[in-house]
Amino acid sequence: MKARRITWKEIKRQKFLMLCTLCFVIYGILFYYVPLGGWIMAFQNYKPKDGLIGSQFVGLEKFKFLFSDATFLRVIRNTLAMGVLNLVCTFVMAIVFAILLNEVRSNLGKKAVQTISYLPHFLSWIIVTGILQDALSSTGIVNELLVNWGLVKGPISFFSIPKLFWPIVAFANVWKETGWNAIVYLAAITSIDPSLYEAATIDGAGRWAKIKNVTIPGIKPTIMILLIMNIGNVLNAGFEVQYLLGNGLVKPVADTIDIYTLTWGISQNDYSLGTAAGIFKSVVAIILIVAANQFAKKTGEQRLF
Amino acid sequence: MKSGRFHRILAAALSLVLFIGLTGCGGGGSSSGGGGGSGSGNSGDIKEFTMFTAMPGAEINDDNEVQQIIAEKTGVKVKETWLTGQTDGEAIGTIIAGGNYPDFINGGDAMKSLYEEGVLVPWDDYLDKYPNLKEMYSDEEWNSFRQDDGKIYWANVFQNTYGESRTTTHNDEAFWIQARVLEWAGYPEIKTLDQYFDVLDRYAKANPTMQNGTKVIPYTMLCEDWRYYCIENAPEFLDGYPNDGSVIVDKENMQIVDYNTTPTAKRYFQKLNEQYKAGNIDIEFATQTYDQYIAKLSTGAVLGMCDQWWNFAYNVNDVFKQQGLDAQGCNYVPLGLTIDEGMENRWHTYADTLNNSSGVAVTTSCSDIEAAFKFMNDILDQEIHDLRFWGVEGVDYLVDEDGMYYRTPEMRAQVADPAYKASHLCDYSYMPQWLGTSRDGKNAMQPAEQTSEFFDDLAEPLVKCFEAYNVDSYVDMIGSVVEDADPWFPMYSYSNAMTTATPGGVAWTKMGEVKHQWLPQVVMADNFEDTWAQYMAAYSAVNPQDFLSEMQTELERRAGL
Repeated sequence: MKARRITWKEIKRQKFLMLCTLCFVIYGILFYYVPLGGWIMAFQNYKPKDGLIGSQFVGLEKFKFLFSDATFLRVIRNTLAMGVLNLVCTFVMAIVFAILLNEVRSNLGKKAVQTISYLPHFLSWIIVTGILQDALSSTGIVNELLVNWGLVKGPISFFSIPKLFWPIVAFANVWKETGWNAIVYLAAITSIDPSLYEAATIDGAGRWAKIKNVTIPGIKPTIMILLIMNIGNVLNAGFEVQYLLGNGLVKPVADTIDIYTLTWGISQNDYSLGTAAGIFKSVVAIILIVAANQFAKKTGEQRLF
Repeated sequence: MKSGRFHRILAAALSLVLFIGLTGCGGGGSSSGGGGGSGSGNSGDIKEFTMFTAMPGAEINDDNEVQQIIAEKTGVKVKETWLTGQTDGEAIGTIIAGGNYPDFINGGDAMKSLYEEGVLVPWDDYLDKYPNLKEMYSDEEWNSFRQDDGKIYWANVFQNTYGESRTTTHNDEAFWIQARVLEWAGYPEIKTLDQYFDVLDRYAKANPTMQNGTKVIPYTMLCEDWRYYCIENAPEFLDGYPNDGSVIVDKENMQIVDYNTTPTAKRYFQKLNEQYKAGNIDIEFATQTYDQYIAKLSTGAVLGMCDQWWNFAYNVNDVFKQQGLDAQGCNYVPLGLTIDEGMENRWHTYADTLNNSSGVAVTTSCSDIEAAFKFMNDILDQEIHDLRFWGVEGVDYLVDEDGMYYRTPEMRAQVADPAYKASHLCDYSYMPQWLGTSRDGKNAMQPAEQTSEFFDDLAEPLVKCFEAYNVDSYVDMIGSVVEDADPWFPMYSYSNAMTTATPGGVAWTKMGEVKHQWLPQVVMADNFEDTWAQYMAAYSAVNPQDFLSEMQTELERRAGL
């Protein structure tokens, strides 16, 4: 794309569009940039009674406490681990699912499967965790099947085994988001020029070869863009799932940065520490997204900015 | 593929996501708690107040009948909201962060943060104006509510007896056992933990399922949040000490003793570990939530547990009655267990326990503070108090020729029905109230304590059980030593109010975290000794000594040493 000079004439001509944009710019400033002023709390010993102006300034003390707290370091590990696990699982599953669905010949079947599979996206986490808890309870369907098939002697208490917590969270994410995430890929696949498939067929390509040589390269730019966007989200490994599924026993592997922020910021009334943890999270997210974008630029792929 | 086409698709997909994101946010805007604003008196001259209680509760209907009657008599209606899915600390923290306060607030263990925030109205100017409120406590008791600025900001509403005590229930902690288990075993004397689990074990082996085919669960425990006392504080009682909650007070030496590390604690957890391995403990005990726990108890399948009466009885007993499980002997009977035979037990607290660390307060956001205090005063009038707890005369209770209140079996079934409770009854359960004897000198303040009601309402298996043990009530059943409470009792009113501002408070928070994590592991351990040693190492690493020494100082202050 060639960069075009922006002239006043151009702006005048597009004044309606400019007006529309302005609304969102104001919205962005108001709701994304103004609240950043609250970051000052992280450098204070903030008490709501004294307000932002009156609170005592303590410099980097809160950050020092944060990084010397073993719990916080463990919480970072949990967040990263669950974030990466979720990203990889949902990402791969969505692509595989989209490609498989694309290969389905019956239009009706394809539509039905697509609709059903994206519906869980609209369920809130509290419902999903409720279903999970029921399904995995000692009298739930999973234990019932395992016992009836003779695979285990007695029912297993899945939520009291710390090792299983991350996989359960990843599974919940996959179950909820696969169908929804696949929509974008399906859209990208439909925009691939059919003549490419025809050409491949003439060259003697089978189904697998067509997927490998036409479909995947065709949706590669989409994959890259979404990957970059999602990498920035790795630290948003979740709050609701872990908060709702966690318990005292799996706490050491279940707590994420968000839960830590809530515990300290809200329950213990230490807003400063909560804010410090939040800032750390944002900074890491920005670094990740810039790094991923640079990487994409280097390898000559589609990129975000 | 052409780049333009791709961008168009992407843009469409993104704007869809954005749109959904925006509308989604709009819907979920108002979070729980808050309630905001206050009395605008929009229905006639009835003032409407809001109240948040940091405890789970059932919301009543907006057109609740008794609430309407009380509103007409007092001119005030209070819309109550309850804790949902959060801890009290989180809920109160959210309200403080949002700055939107209800008119009344009962903040559980988080009252101190509200006080520090400066959003509570001092009671001192109002107490003398409102005799019913003033009457709730003696001057000495009121003084114990004073904060470090010398003022009173809240009043606990529970465990406060008017006139003669009418206690029939053991409204405290105990190891509970279903009446049918005792009947099956021929009403044996059960004095120790070993005997208790022995009976549960034998009964479960002989009767593995209920009449409807549900598998029995010999023993379960609740480990969730603050309710983990169900697993955690039994060692203090097993050693024969009263419910100081967070510590043992050794009266001979006036020393604070940590019950987490006593030999009894180890024996208790070893017993649980042994029972877990034997399959007698619910495998979900460590992960269940309070709601799941109550649902489990309500099936009647759980034979025994260690819990406070108020934590389960009000929910579970109503369900038992409606499902006919009370006739099968599913109701729980308390046992006064100790670790060894021949020890005194102090599970039951005879005198009122004053927990001055929490209670009901009026916030500075209240639009009409005068009316708020007047309302709390009015609802302590006998007429309104009867409406709150007994209901409407002729509908929810009858009066015999001696002036005694009673309910017919149909009325009892009706008041146990959740739908009826929501549409008709309104007890303002976290507002000031009385136990004990009514001002008429005959009836009990609350139906549960009316002797005739208690016995008429008692399920057949419970009557048989009480007869077999030759006792009259739950209180006799548990057979605790009768003695006056010590001046420092209960020590938990101090530890509950601790914040992370002191080293002791930090230690207290961390001790809780360590115990939440390790106690279930200890119970489920393959190798008990190893896991116990690891737990003890993790426990001593968080400096419990800091906590204990602050408790020692408070003990000495309270005892006047």
